[in-house]
Amino acid sequence: MKAKYMVLVFCSLLLGGCWDRTEINDLAIVTAAAIDNEEEQKIRLSIQVFIPRELTSGQGGTGNGGGELTTVYSGTGLNISDAMSKVQAKLSRKIFWGHCKVYLFGEEAAKQGMAEHIDFLVRHPGPRNRAYLYVTRGKAKEGLAIKTVLERSTAEALREFASLHIGMAVTLIDYRNMLKSESEAVAVPMIENGSKLQTPAQIQTKSILIGTAVFKKDKMIGHISPKVTRGLMWLRNEVTEAAITIQPPHVKGIVSVMPSRSRVTLDPVIKNGKWSLLVKVDTEGDVVENGTLLNLMNPDLLSIVQKAVRDDIQARITYSLGTLQKGLKVDVANFAGAFHRKYPKEWEQNKDQWEKIYPEVDVRSQINVKIRRPGLISAPAGVPQEDVIKE
Amino acid sequence: MNRNARKWWRMNKQKLQQQQQMPESSTQIAKELAANEAVLRELYTNCTDVVYRSFLIGGSTKALVIYIDGLSNTEELDRSVLSSLMNGKISKETHARKLVEKTISVSKWREITTLEECIESISNGCPVLLIDQQEAALSFGLEKWEKRAIEEPVAEGVVRGPREGFTESLNVNTSLLRRLIKSPALKMELMQIGGYTKTKVILAYIDGIVDPTLVTELKARLNRIDIDGVLESGYIEELIEDHPSSPFPQILSTERPDVACGNLLEGRVVILVDGTPFILIAPTTLIALLQSSEDYYQRSFASTAIRLLRYVFTVMSFLLPSLYVALITFHHEMVPTSLLISMASSREAVPFPALVEALIMEITFEALREAGVRLPKQVGAAVSIVGALVIGQAAVQAGLVSAPMVIVVAITGIASFMIPHYIAGIAIRLLRFPMMFLAGTLGLLGIMLGIIATVVHLCTIRSVGVPYLTPFAPMKGKELKDALVRAPWWMLNTRPRLTGESNMYRQAQGLKPDPSKGGDTS
Repeated sequence: MKAKYMVLVFCSLLLGGCWDRTEINDLAIVTAAAIDNEEEQKIRLSIQVFIPRELTSGQGGTGNGGGELTTVYSGTGLNISDAMSKVQAKLSRKIFWGHCKVYLFGEEAAKQGMAEHIDFLVRHPGPRNRAYLYVTRGKAKEGLAIKTVLERSTAEALREFASLHIGMAVTLIDYRNMLKSESEAVAVPMIENGSKLQTPAQIQTKSILIGTAVFKKDKMIGHISPKVTRGLMWLRNEVTEAAITIQPPHVKGIVSVMPSRSRVTLDPVIKNGKWSLLVKVDTEGDVVENGTLLNLMNPDLLSIVQKAVRDDIQARITYSLGTLQKGLKVDVANFAGAFHRKYPKEWEQNKDQWEKIYPEVDVRSQINVKIRRPGLISAPAGVPQEDVIKE
Repeated sequence: MNRNARKWWRMNKQKLQQQQQMPESSTQIAKELAANEAVLRELYTNCTDVVYRSFLIGGSTKALVIYIDGLSNTEELDRSVLSSLMNGKISKETHARKLVEKTISVSKWREITTLEECIESISNGCPVLLIDQQEAALSFGLEKWEKRAIEEPVAEGVVRGPREGFTESLNVNTSLLRRLIKSPALKMELMQIGGYTKTKVILAYIDGIVDPTLVTELKARLNRIDIDGVLESGYIEELIEDHPSSPFPQILSTERPDVACGNLLEGRVVILVDGTPFILIAPTTLIALLQSSEDYYQRSFASTAIRLLRYVFTVMSFLLPSLYVALITFHHEMVPTSLLISMASSREAVPFPALVEALIMEITFEALREAGVRLPKQVGAAVSIVGALVIGQAAVQAGLVSAPMVIVVAITGIASFMIPHYIAGIAIRLLRFPMMFLAGTLGLLGIMLGIIATVVHLCTIRSVGVPYLTPFAPMKGKELKDALVRAPWWMLNTRPRLTGESNMYRQAQGLKPDPSKGGDTS
C-alpha cells in the first residue's frame, strides 16, 4: 500500500512538469536599461541585451572579436511597463531584468521627475535594488552605445566605475534612502553624452563621469562639477583613494598625499536659535609623490605639508558648500539628518522651514590630517643629497 | 502478496526439507560399521569427491575413514591416523577416546555421536573415523584447502595503515582479528546459516565493552534467518537490517581487520561470514560511513581537514547537479552575471532542457562507472578513453550538452568517490536522481523539500537500535570530538556512549604529551 502511495506521489510530481521553467536560452538578459522622455508625455525605454551566441565558449573564453556582445532594443510607451511590452514585441526572448546592473536616465527625464520610473524599478520583482543609477547628459539611449575597450559592455564598464568610487556610486536603494531622508535631496552620478564617446580616441581622452546630478525631491535641479563632487564626497564621508596634490606655502614644488583612512562626522549645534554645524575630518595618508626638496622624515617639515593638506581639504569643502548651500540650496550632504538626530525636538518644530534654514547654517570645519608614512623612501629621490632640506 | 508467499511456504516446507535429505539430528551412530557406511553412501550418492577408506585397526577391527577430496590434509591423515592405526604393533584397543589418547597424533579432534555431526565434519573438511562396534566416531581437524593469500584490500585503500585485508576463509579472518586483539575478552560465537551452504557465521565482540543486549538482539536476528544459502555477507546484511526500505546502508561492511577491531573496541559487534572477505559491523551511523580508518592513523590536523573536505564533497555529490539544474532553470538571478553570461553562451546550442541534459550526463556517468567495474582489467583502459571522449569533449562539441554541465558531472563524480565506504556512496548517488527531478520541477523549493525529506528519513532510521544520525541527532556534544573533527588520541578518552556505555573510558586521563611529564633519559 505504501508503495502505491509513493508511486502516486512521484507521478503527481511529474504531472506538474516543468511548465514554469525558463531555460537560459529563452531569456534576453538585460545588462543595462536607459529611460528617456519623448514627446507627447511618452517615455522611451532602451535595453541593452546580451547576445549569447557572440561569446563562443571553448576558444579562449572571450568573444571571437567579430560582432558586438550586446545589442540595444528600444520602445516607447506611457510608462516603463508599457514601453517594456513594446520592446518585448520586438524580442524573440523574454526580457530578464535579474542581471540589469545599471539604469541610465536621460537628463530630460531626470528633470521632469523620476518618481514613476523609480516606482517601477522598485515594485517590479525583476529589477534589482542594488543596481546603479546614472544620469546622462543628453539622451540616455546614447549612453548605452558608449564604446568600451576593456569591458564586455557599457553596463559592466559603468558598474566597475561605481565600484572604483571615483565619483559617487548610487544604487537604487541608496536613491530611495536619500529621498526618504530629512533633506529629501538626492545626488546621482552623471555621465557624458554617449554620442561623444564613440571613437577609441574619444574614449581614451574623455572621462565618462562628469560630476553629479543633484535632485530635490524626485526632480533634477542641477549639475555639479567633479570638483564640487569631491567636496561633497568629503562631506558624505565617502572619500576613498584619490590623491590630494598641494603646494606647501613658501616652498618650491608640489606634494601628493593619498588619504588611506578618513572619517568625517557632522556635529550640529543650535545655540540661541542660530543653527551651525561643525564638520570634523580625521584623515590619515601616505606621501606618494614629493616634488619639493623637503625631507619629510623631519616632523617639522612634515607638519608644513600636513597643514597644506588640511587647508586643501578645507578649501574643497568650502568650495562645494558654496555651490550646494548657497547656489543650488540643496542639502545632499544631509545636514538635516544630523540636526534631526541631535536635536529631535527643535527639528520637529522647524522641519517645515528647513529650506530657509539650510542656506543660513554656519558651517565650520575642524580638520585633522596625519601623514603616517613617507612612502618607500624618505628623502627626495630625484635630487642630490646635499640639496635636500633636512631642517 | 505476503499471504500468498506464506501459503506457498507452508505447502512446500516439507518438500524442501525432504530435498535436503538430512537425517534427523538425533540419529545416533549405529554400532555396526556397515550400517553407518550404508547410510552415508546413500546420502552421498553421486558424490564422487567423497573418499571412503576402509582399513583394519591393528589388523583386526574394521574401521572407515571418510573425507572429501581436496578439503582435507591427506598427508597428515595418512601419517598420523592411518599409518599409526594400521601398524600391527598397537594393542587391540579400539575405544575411540583411548585411541586418540594413545596412538593418534592429531592435535585437533572431536568425538561425535550423531550422523548429522558426522556429515557436518566431513563437509567442513574434517576426516571422520568410524570404528566397528563403536557408537562414537572421531573427527580430526585436518581441514586444508586452497586459500587466497592475505592481500591488500582493494575497495578500501589507505596511504598509512595496515595493508592486510580479510580473505575468503573464516579461520584466517578470525586469526587476523585475534592477532590484533589478544585479550581473551574477544569472544567469537559460531553459528551456521544456510540450508545447503551451511555457512559458518561468527559473531565477534569484546566482552566487557559490548552491551550484552546488543549481542542478544543480533543473535536473535541471525537465528531468525532461514535461507538455503549464504554466499556473501550481503545476504545477512539484508536479512537483519532495521529498515529494509531505506536506501542507506544500516550495517557497515569492511574488509579491513583494523576497522573491525576499531569498532570492536568501541563496543560494536562484528559478524564474519565464511566465504567472503567482507565482514559486517553493527550498529553503524551515517558518520561512520563517512570515515576512513586512516583518519585515526594520520595526525589529527590532517584527519580533521580531510574529514571536513569529505563532508563538503558528500553534500556536493548529493546536491550539485540538482542545484545546477535549479539555478539554470528557475533562478537565473542567483548566478553572478558574468557566470550566467558564460553559461548562457555555452548552453545556446544545447537542444535539451537542463534537467534532461543533467539526466543524460549523470546516467551516462553511472553507466561508465559500472562498466569500468565490471569489465576485465585489460578493457578498462578502453572504457575510460571512450568515457573521457564521449562525456568530455565530443558531447560538448556535438552540442548535446553544455560544457558547464560536464564540469558539474565531473565534480559530482569525483565527490561521490570521496566517500570512503562504497555502499554509502551508492546510496547518495541514487538519491541524487530524485533530487534532480525535484530541482527540475520545483527549483530550489524542491531541493529544500528533498533535503528536508532526506534529513527526516535519516533521523527516523536506526541501526540495531542506535539512531543513524548519532551524534548529531540526538546531539551528543562529547562525541563530536570524533565526528565533525578527529580530536587527537589523547583527547579521545571515552567510547561512543550508545555502544560503549558499560565501559566508558578507553584510556587514562591526561595523556597529552608534555615536556614536564618527563620520559627523557636524564
